[in-house]
Amino acid sequence: MTRHVTDDVQWLTVCYPHEDAHEHVSVYLIEHDGSYILVDSGSFHHEEQLAAAIEEATDGAGIDAIILSHSDYPHSGNISEFREEWDDVELVASSGSPEIQGLSDARRCIIGEDLDVLGRTFNFIDPPLADRSHTTWIRDSESGVLFTADGFGNYHAPGECEQLSSEFEDAVPEQAVYEFHRDNLVWLQYVDPDKLRTALDEIFDDHDVSAIAPIHGNPTLAEDVPVALDRLERAAARIAEEYDVPTVEDA
Amino acid sequence: MPREILPGLHWFYEPGPDRTEMVTGDGDGPDWYDPDGDVYIPQCAYLFEGDDETLLFDTLSPASREEILSDVEAALDGRDLDYLVISHPDVPHAGNAMALLDAYPEAELVAPRYGNDHELYHLDDALHVGEGDSIDLGGFVLDFHEATFLDAPVSVWMSERTNDMLLPVDWMGYPHAEHEMLSFVDELDHDLDLGRLLQFHGRVLFWHQYVDVEKVQREIDWLVDHYDPEWILPAHGLVVRENPTEYMDLMKDVVAEINERDRIGILG
Repeated sequence: MTRHVTDDVQWLTVCYPHEDAHEHVSVYLIEHDGSYILVDSGSFHHEEQLAAAIEEATDGAGIDAIILSHSDYPHSGNISEFREEWDDVELVASSGSPEIQGLSDARRCIIGEDLDVLGRTFNFIDPPLADRSHTTWIRDSESGVLFTADGFGNYHAPGECEQLSSEFEDAVPEQAVYEFHRDNLVWLQYVDPDKLRTALDEIFDDHDVSAIAPIHGNPTLAEDVPVALDRLERAAARIAEEYDVPTVEDA
Repeated sequence: MPREILPGLHWFYEPGPDRTEMVTGDGDGPDWYDPDGDVYIPQCAYLFEGDDETLLFDTLSPASREEILSDVEAALDGRDLDYLVISHPDVPHAGNAMALLDAYPEAELVAPRYGNDHELYHLDDALHVGEGDSIDLGGFVLDFHEATFLDAPVSVWMSERTNDMLLPVDWMGYPHAEHEMLSFVDELDHDLDLGRLLQFHGRVLFWHQYVDVEKVQREIDWLVDHYDPEWILPAHGLVVRENPTEYMDLMKDVVAEINERDRIGILG
């Protein structure tokens, strides 16, 4: 259940079934000068699996910091447990109201700025594909991996749980991207696809991205990023086209 | 800190942190801003005491755990809590669900039927409700609806049929001055205007930056016509009991304004 996305970024992949498909609820582990930084903490549903994977990936050392994309429970569900399991785990979060989000001792990262965590610089990026206000995309400046929280998610077939984009026949399928975003980013039913694409292009123009690392999907490696962007734009357009606002006469 | 809106309908209120910086920026702040007090964007929960049964809609955040437990106990005054409704499983709305269920183990947990990740929120065994579902408490009748403007996909709106109340959860939120706490909007010295609504929705529903504005505005027209409420009970604002559809209509301008701007900030 552990795949290297780059030399120092590992994908700890866990998922659960949705009828015939699976949905990832993964986390990522970054090694930096002998320390380990976890991006998101996963769901309580997978606590034991993730703890075991972290133990193995860190050779028993455990983690030293957690950077949280947002406080939604499938992303934040194991913070307390992991901080009890391993000592002195720093929590970094974008929330401006940590006590309201149950994250009272988090160090705040400001969306739109950079922050040093354990000697490594992370860029915190305003995400056009998100649902919670305080969601941040997180770019690891050393590896170039962009952690996209709920954005760029996809459902996958049971045999595809640990595949990187390069291991699909033709990258991550558009239908899987469409279905995930239709179900999870409901506001896309109102989206203007051109505005969304413009915002995404600005991010990818401003930052070198070695891989897109979603929590709810298979990672997309750099060579597949252009096709992933095109597929996401078409998926968003389809979601919007398929939703008709009821007419007042229907009320 | 509660206020009884109508006999048997209790408004529980959590101010959250001071949001002064959000509304003043580098200037003096809007006309409703009072420099002698804080600015809040609250969390609100509502307890309906019917003739036969009781229902609590949302739970406030974990920072107010003791307050919500004691306020609910005082309001119930010895009655049982029969239903605990979670509008959506975000921490400021659902953060005390387990504590309340521990205090009222006979209460039935009620959750949105929308979305497909219920097991990741401990909501798989809840009573799932949505469009067409109702709970009649006796005197208060609660109807559930698919949420129109939302953040979490596991979301539900609610209305109260007897008094024509709409509970639109994360829609229709806004900041207010400390001295306005627990006031009805018609009791304010300054009106609920576009600026207040913009401060909230430009952050919480930031995705309006990327929408087809005309499509969203048609949706708002439909909401006004479909619900035509007499009251709005928001999760993050003050209760509206006069001319609520005027404020709903104002949201069309708010959406257009958000769409013209870059992200104005975050909340949460």
